[in-house]
Amino acid sequence: MSNEKIKPFAYTEIVKDHFLNPRNFLMGDEKNFTYDAKGTVGNPVCGDQMNMYLKISSRKNPETNESETYIKDIKWKTYGCASAIASTSALSELAKGKTLEEAEKISAKEICDFLGGLPEHKFHCSVLGHEALKDAIKNHQEKGSPKTP
Amino acid sequence: MIYLDSAATAPLLPCVKNAVSEILEKLARAEVGNASSLYSSGVYAKELIETAREKVARFLDASPSEIIFTSGGSESNNTVLKTFENKSVAVSAIEHPSVLRPAEAYAKNLTLLPVDKTGRLDLNFLENFLEKTPAFPNLISVMLANNELGVLEPITEVKKKLQRVLKLRKNPREKCPKFHSDLTQAVGKLPLSVKQLDLDYASFSAHKIGGPLGVGVLYIKSGSPYKPLLLGGEQENSRRAGTYNLPGIVGLGVACDYCFENRTWEIYEKKVKPLRDSLAKSLLEKIPTARLNTDLENSVPNILNLSFPAAEGESIQLYLDLNGVQVSTGSACASGSLEPSHVLMAIHHDPESAHNSIRFSLSLETSPADLEKVIATLPKIVYNLQQISTIKLKEPKKCLTKK
Ligand code: FES
Repeated sequence: MSNEKIKPFAYTEIVKDHFLNPRNFLMGDEKNFTYDAKGTVGNPVCGDQMNMYLKISSRKNPETNESETYIKDIKWKTYGCASAIASTSALSELAKGKTLEEAEKISAKEICDFLGGLPEHKFHCSVLGHEALKDAIKNHQEKGSPKTP
Repeated sequence: MIYLDSAATAPLLPCVKNAVSEILEKLARAEVGNASSLYSSGVYAKELIETAREKVARFLDASPSEIIFTSGGSESNNTVLKTFENKSVAVSAIEHPSVLRPAEAYAKNLTLLPVDKTGRLDLNFLENFLEKTPAFPNLISVMLANNELGVLEPITEVKKKLQRVLKLRKNPREKCPKFHSDLTQAVGKLPLSVKQLDLDYASFSAHKIGGPLGVGVLYIKSGSPYKPLLLGGEQENSRRAGTYNLPGIVGLGVACDYCFENRTWEIYEKKVKPLRDSLAKSLLEKIPTARLNTDLENSVPNILNLSFPAAEGESIQLYLDLNGVQVSTGSACASGSLEPSHVLMAIHHDPESAHNSIRFSLSLETSPADLEKVIATLPKIVYNLQQISTIKLKEPKKCLTKK
């Protein structure tokens, strides 16, 4: 990380890839995706915004044989910098298929590591998606039980 | 690579590069030395510095004794504000931070003069302020052209208002405020004379006109008060301590001479302005949501600032960079401090317009093909980012329609 300043592009190749080819983003109007829960977060630091949309379902855990709710599909929208776009894209990959409990535990550090690091003043962007995801899960739990597939 | 950020640093002029290389060669052979030494290599250095000073003075329409060499526009600006420590100071709200921050740090009373939607100083506010203020300011600082918008400030009108109000106030103890102007974005782009503008102080940096980095000018009209920022040396008649930056100063002189001899402001007007205007027209056509932040009829010919609602500026900047185009943005995300541009805030009063603003700044080398590349790539970039964005686009709105 010490030679970060002299890299031609201030971000890592992985960040660049997620920025240029964001995964799972919601194209255009949010009506284009049917979701069970939505989370929103506004970033007080630089004024960016992020929405997270979850399709939630239940499945049987093969080990415990108990029913669990998990993220069947995930989409997002963001209005922010390259780092915000890349870290939300990364988070969507990390969260997809996870149970709600597991997804809630994904940390900003995990996102950051997944991306091969972020410049220091950009850490706050990687928390954005993660907050929006938590908000979506919270909204979902307040709303009630998930639809069965 | 297409470089459209000349307002940050202009490409080094070939004649400057040669002159600076020659000095470096001579320094390596000790043929030229420290201008403060009395032996021949020092005397030679002093001669070179004085020649550069004459060139700068001729370019600004000043006398050589009124020119001080500094490390750049920021130092020049700081020095002027330092001179007015514990005094009443009024500065425009869209000055460069190197005027705003020292003004906050040193002035006893500081007034920020607001601007209108185009970034032009609000003359009514100014007049009102001058009539009502209990303490007439000792210094007024208004830049000639703003670095982010390119807008030109009505300095001559401001000076007229000052004279008028001063007569009105009929207080024999009150003197006309001293006037400082940061000329950094105007040099080489407009015909300039510190005499005609009737300035007491003026600043600029060499690297905005194709000169070297780290060298600049402070003009002080003879007889104006002065407090040095750097103490501890006899250089510049004890007005600025520190060993002379010989290669920088020589390069600065050559750059000023280049502008003066070629009347670069005429080339900017004839060649660069039409390019800039057609870039604005094409982008506004292809991106109907775009908003024009630069008043094309009242600006330096080389700067164009646009906002692209719902598309964040740093993202646009990086996309363009990956397409080989370099521009700058007023977005909070791109600034180290994560603060939106104070200039766009001052004209639109919302962080949004700063958040999605892009500044294109052209040079004499910018070609129509360079701009075609921008016109071909930018609409797609903005469209993509708008699709990802959480912000829903409102009806397209243009901010600067012709009056
Ligand atoms: S979202 Fe603003 S700095 Fe990343």
